Amino acid sequence: MSQQLVLDLYLPQPPSVEGYVAGENAEPLFMLGEWASGESYASFMYLWGGPSVGKSHLLAAARQRVPGAILVDCARQALPLTIAPDAALLVDNVEHLDFEAQIRLFDHFNTLREGNGRLIATGPVPPMQLELRTDLTTRLGWGLVYQLKPLSDADKLAALRKQAREWGFDLSTEAAEYLLRHTDRDLVSLQSVLTQANRYALSQKRPVTVPLLREVLHADRDF
Amino acid sequence: MSALENCWPHCLAELEARLGADQFRIWIKPLVAEVAGDSLNLIVPNQIFLQFIRDRYLGVIEESASPFFADGVAQISLKVGSNVRKPSPVAARPNGTLAAAAGPSNAYGANVGNSNNNASSVPAPSPRQHAAPPAPAIHVTSSHHETTRLNPSFTFETLVTGKANQLARAAAQQVSENPGVSYNPLFVYGGVGLGKTHLIQAIGNAVHQRNPSAKIRYIHAEKYVADVVKAYQHKAFDEFKRYYHSLDLLLIDDIQFFVGKDKTQEEFFYAFNALVEGHKQIIITSDRYPKEIDGLQDRLVSRFSWGLTVAIEPPELEMRVAILLLKAERENFKLDSTVAFFIAKHIRSNVRELEGALKRVLAYARFTNQPLTLEAAKEALRDILAAGNRQITVENIQKTVADFYKIKVADMHSKKRTRDIARPRQVAMALTKELTPMSLPAIGEAFGGRDHTTVLHACRTIESLRSSDGELSHQYGVLLQMLRS
Repeated sequence: MSQQLVLDLYLPQPPSVEGYVAGENAEPLFMLGEWASGESYASFMYLWGGPSVGKSHLLAAARQRVPGAILVDCARQALPLTIAPDAALLVDNVEHLDFEAQIRLFDHFNTLREGNGRLIATGPVPPMQLELRTDLTTRLGWGLVYQLKPLSDADKLAALRKQAREWGFDLSTEAAEYLLRHTDRDLVSLQSVLTQANRYALSQKRPVTVPLLREVLHADRDF
Repeated sequence: MSALENCWPHCLAELEARLGADQFRIWIKPLVAEVAGDSLNLIVPNQIFLQFIRDRYLGVIEESASPFFADGVAQISLKVGSNVRKPSPVAARPNGTLAAAAGPSNAYGANVGNSNNNASSVPAPSPRQHAAPPAPAIHVTSSHHETTRLNPSFTFETLVTGKANQLARAAAQQVSENPGVSYNPLFVYGGVGLGKTHLIQAIGNAVHQRNPSAKIRYIHAEKYVADVVKAYQHKAFDEFKRYYHSLDLLLIDDIQFFVGKDKTQEEFFYAFNALVEGHKQIIITSDRYPKEIDGLQDRLVSRFSWGLTVAIEPPELEMRVAILLLKAERENFKLDSTVAFFIAKHIRSNVRELEGALKRVLAYARFTNQPLTLEAAKEALRDILAAGNRQITVENIQKTVADFYKIKVADMHSKKRTRDIARPRQVAMALTKELTPMSLPAIGEAFGGRDHTTVLHACRTIESLRSSDGELSHQYGVLLQMLRS
């Protein structure tokens, strides 16, 4: 059987609020919308949770919603030296801030608070458990603090089937459950495998079934 | 009017003076008195309120009321009732019910009860009932105010006062009335998120209100450092000096940020001398006592002790409740006192965290569009409380105390008895007793196999020192805050 070449016509979708599977995180998602529309009671937020709960996704989505918002991933980037008092600042992974950068964020926080600015920060633990300066952690804990909870298996299953429908095929419950049992169970990993499976299925002109998923996962392991 | 009918108005006037406006407004004013034969019934809004009044205030109420009772022993009963929310005019009503009169409004829009005035007969709102939106806080903005960098909402009127900050507030008010004269510098220290910035900005706003032409500047120490760097880069030190040396009032926040910044310290030293010599006021805050700021030049540390040094401690329960009720009131939100109690009991470390928890609860009510009941508050704070409920261990206490006093953790277990080691060890034992469920023998075992009587002695020593040694009392408070946060 000849292999079908797959034209890569999917444009990468920017992270969006709509594309975020909320699960038990409906309230922080709602507040993110309030933050984006400039509601003062949601001006300062801190989102925390383990890996792959969607912290970075939500910050990127918030940047999409607020023109001019500044997004800094502290694991890879430095905070800006100065900031406008009414800026919208998104700071991902605050746990990576070194001593000098902590003072800078402290300074930016004060500037934004005095000048009707906005800030969302993220970290792996609640503010008071961050190993950062307490004058910074207490400020991060001053606004709305939310734990982003991992999705339940049922939510992940629903998210995978929704994704499949958007790509034009039905993912059977059996196939979705197979994925949940045989690969990393965070949504990012699951969606990544589903993307590979979709491409492979198109190239093979076959539906996405358990045997096909098995082949994809084994092929992945072989590399 | 019988003698007993005069009793409650007398008590109100006396209790307001004794307890201060905030505590009076939150706890005493909602009470309604009823004369019942030879005794006085005080009606409270709910069971939690009743318990709190009984534990904290019944003693002072009885003391205040005792002259009105035949044998000098007050007969007062507390009852939960619903008529606390009814209109309650100043004079005794036919049914013998007495309540706090409506006094002049304070800046929160609440009435500070005073039984001796003849003002309106507007009912006293209970903490459960904030029918009218709060009156706007006193704003002192003007075009000149902008240059001060002061937040106009940080005033004495909006500052909740309790045991934790009453001394600092009294000093601050005195300084605001006589800047450059009474205490110069005024040095305010305390842990993070306890309201230092609010307090000193209240001084600035009060001075500005009295004298709008006074040249005032509030600056965070970090920004001052940046100003020094900028002046250095642009060779503009003359301008820098001219500006800072010409101020009437300099408020500098978080002076510990000067550590390791020699040029900044030098410039500040000159500014300090110029201002103090010119009888201009300087107000400084820090997260710790001046002598404990390592890396600050001795000449600055010694100058900081020229004036008055006052501490702000973490707020006690009733002050935390008052803060929550006040903040909710400003948001035009009817916060039930049981909900305020619940939050205040669980969030203990600092005011910022307390405000954060309140924001979560209010956000939850907005999100669910449901009334804010105790159950709703518990649900809203579930993850915050779960995160805060991590166990405090003896190892954690020993390490925190050892770091704080700059001794080795091993000294917690050692046989050394020198004061500089024995005292921190006693502090750690007392903290372990307070913060963990460990038995005294188990605590003794954890501190190098000591006897439980040694632990008991340590706890008693620290308890006694906390009431006689202000510095140790503050250190204990800071350690409690560090361990609980």
